Amino acid sequence: MTEPLARWPSRIHVRAMPENWRRLVGAPRNRLPAIRAVFILLLGILALTTPGFLSKPSILSLLTTVSFIGCVAVGMTLITISGNIMSFCLGAIVGASAMIFIAAVNWGGVAFGFVAALVSGAVLDAAQGFAIGWARANPIMISIAMLALIYGVVEAVGADGTVYAQAGVSYGMFKGDVAGIPIEFVTFLCVTAIGQLILSFTVFGRNVYMVGGSIRAVDAIGVRTWRTVSGAYLWAGLFSALAGIMLSIRYGSASMDYGVGYDYEAVAAVLVGGTLIKGGEGSILRTLGGVMIIAIIQVVLLLRGLRQEWQYLISGLIVLAVIILHTRGTRD
Amino acid sequence: MAQEIISVDRLCKSYAGVDALRDVSFSLAAGEIRAICGENGAGKSTFVKLLMGITQPDSGSISIDGRVRTIVGPQRAQGLGLGFVAQELSLAPRLSILDNIWLGSADVPLIHRRPRFRARAQEAMELLGIGDWDLDRPVATLTIGQQQLVEIARLLARQARVLILDEPTATLTDAEIERILGVLKLVKARGHSIIYISHRLGEVFELCDSVSVFRNGEHVATKPVGEITRDGLIELMLGRSFGEMYPSVPAHRQAGNAVVVEGLNVPDAVYDFSLTAPSGKILCIAGQIGSGASMVIRALAGLVYGATGRVIVNGRPMRLGAVPHCVSRNVLFLSEDRAAEGIFHRMKVLDNLVATSLGAHALLGVLNWPSLGRFAARLADRVGIDRQRLRAYAGNLSGGNQQKLLFGRAVERSEPGIMLMNDPTRGIDVGARADIYLLMRKLCALGYSLIMTSSDLEEVVGIADIVVTMYRGRAVARYEREGIDMASIMVDITHPTPRSKAVA
Repeated sequence: MTEPLARWPSRIHVRAMPENWRRLVGAPRNRLPAIRAVFILLLGILALTTPGFLSKPSILSLLTTVSFIGCVAVGMTLITISGNIMSFCLGAIVGASAMIFIAAVNWGGVAFGFVAALVSGAVLDAAQGFAIGWARANPIMISIAMLALIYGVVEAVGADGTVYAQAGVSYGMFKGDVAGIPIEFVTFLCVTAIGQLILSFTVFGRNVYMVGGSIRAVDAIGVRTWRTVSGAYLWAGLFSALAGIMLSIRYGSASMDYGVGYDYEAVAAVLVGGTLIKGGEGSILRTLGGVMIIAIIQVVLLLRGLRQEWQYLISGLIVLAVIILHTRGTRD
Repeated sequence: MAQEIISVDRLCKSYAGVDALRDVSFSLAAGEIRAICGENGAGKSTFVKLLMGITQPDSGSISIDGRVRTIVGPQRAQGLGLGFVAQELSLAPRLSILDNIWLGSADVPLIHRRPRFRARAQEAMELLGIGDWDLDRPVATLTIGQQQLVEIARLLARQARVLILDEPTATLTDAEIERILGVLKLVKARGHSIIYISHRLGEVFELCDSVSVFRNGEHVATKPVGEITRDGLIELMLGRSFGEMYPSVPAHRQAGNAVVVEGLNVPDAVYDFSLTAPSGKILCIAGQIGSGASMVIRALAGLVYGATGRVIVNGRPMRLGAVPHCVSRNVLFLSEDRAAEGIFHRMKVLDNLVATSLGAHALLGVLNWPSLGRFAARLADRVGIDRQRLRAYAGNLSGGNQQKLLFGRAVERSEPGIMLMNDPTRGIDVGARADIYLLMRKLCALGYSLIMTSSDLEEVVGIADIVVTMYRGRAVARYEREGIDMASIMVDITHPTPRSKAVA
């Protein structure tokens, strides 16, 4: 009677997971390849049994759509490996460089368009990288600030609609296909190769891994980390601008809407591919795998008549699962 | 024999195939203060983690009060009457003493600010003779020593019968240490048992009833303190006599000064520190935690923003505060915090070894991998890492091999450099330690100048050619090889002495 609250349980025990259950969910890292193999096998079976998946139009559209996301994802991989998680503004850079490309082509021709779009994409993103690498600012917050900045500038110059290319512009070899393969996909494969070569065979590439692995250790051996971080963002900006250019060539127009959602989808591909979210480990080839997996899932869902919201839901679930498996598997 | 509280039977634990604890049996009686001594990496902390349920044993059992228990987590350990104070304090600085005492307690339902809990906290404080402290005072306003007492009060409030303390005096002043020891004797008088982990043998002999020695994951011996001498204890910990540990020093060569430091200042840490270090010698800056010794090393490495002073390296002035500049002067830093500041865990040993030499094996930024591979193999041979391991992940290496890897980054330079090291053998087991010392001597023979700190006086005396002592940010004295003597160093680094003013 004296103290009614005393009837509360006096001890709250945190119940431990049973050992076999722990083994299953806490999949240690060496079980990840097995999980991945089973998943890919299931996906393969699902894709091949989907009517129409192996048809020419379906394959061609698959290869074309992955290319845009793919280029952004290659850039995003560099950012993720460098330990900066992701950039929220790569989609905006895709849109902005697409618009700059169309405007520049209209003003000074195709070559000028390429230079203007690539340079602006690289500069915009390198600035972001500089702020992150030099001032050690939070990469997510900086990328959100950059996103707002890009949208603000685009609105300020009054270009918030769609811009169209003048009639009769010829893009020459940049439109069409190479031996039946869409030029976009060929470009994406080139970007993948360049990205992987940079990571594996240059001093800069090794520094990206080291900065992502332990930025304090890199400080201690006297490598200028801001250069590496800025460099990673510069390449990401360059590859995103390329995606913007390909989009505007394909549609003959450009708008900020072109890049919406690309940043999220790119980072999803990076993670599904197997690059670690905490940085220091990963590769562009893994991202290539991630891009293909996500694209195949989307095509399968589409062909099986599931609507857009289901696609979002399922890709969300997959990313969630991948992140949980990775972080549980790599906790030291 | 009093009743046993804890009885441990053949406990084993391994991490990634490396045995951290092998067949450890152990028992503790009620009202006993037991010291656990052992080198870093001897298995002391693994043992405590198993007792506290932070990790689970691979095999073996833990009995509390004669019943075998599976301790599934810290909350369960708390329920069984075990309490642990880690080396780093785990108090929330902005909360009050009362809040901190009940923080994380399994006893408290949702709200602890009720008279009953206040009274229990007060009771625990009075037990320790600190009943006059205001329970509502924020913990941040207490000194480190006082905070340590709050940690102990917290355990008593949770009715812990066994207090496990991990180096509780490592960062305290002498007066505070006396106070803690006094309090622990009080706690013992009330019938509590204490497991006292410490490197300070003086405290072990003053406070404890008996001492258990761990070495390489095994429980080597347990003896009443009356039956063992200081030297005997050291021998048990090292597993060999003290003398074999350190390589012999080659005959003195007269060498020029590689490093001259004048008037080094680091705000709030180092004041007007001067130093000359000859090449081919090991100079050790001895000082307790907070003496500024490790700060001197970091400042010379260029890692401290705001450090000022005149530094001449091999005749050329060196600017402080920029690591790339220091590296260009061949001044290289080896961190004691290998996990955070040294190695890249998720990269291969090969990648780690060549991390500082990428530029020298590249043309226009493109790497020459074959040449890098040969270079890495050469480095591995030089520092004694098995070539087979070049493809292994650096995170899987033992502490000793990781340290060799860091040395590897610094050798094979065009001219011998200056190596700066804080506590180069921290977390490295006895066998690997001797290897590291041998490696350090080899570097000296090549003409490198080694400047290090150490928290271990025996190491200081064993390895150093020159010792500079520090107390509260100032240099106290300088000893050369023959004049190095443990007693005077001990006095220098623990007390203000007249010599504090007469700086070498």
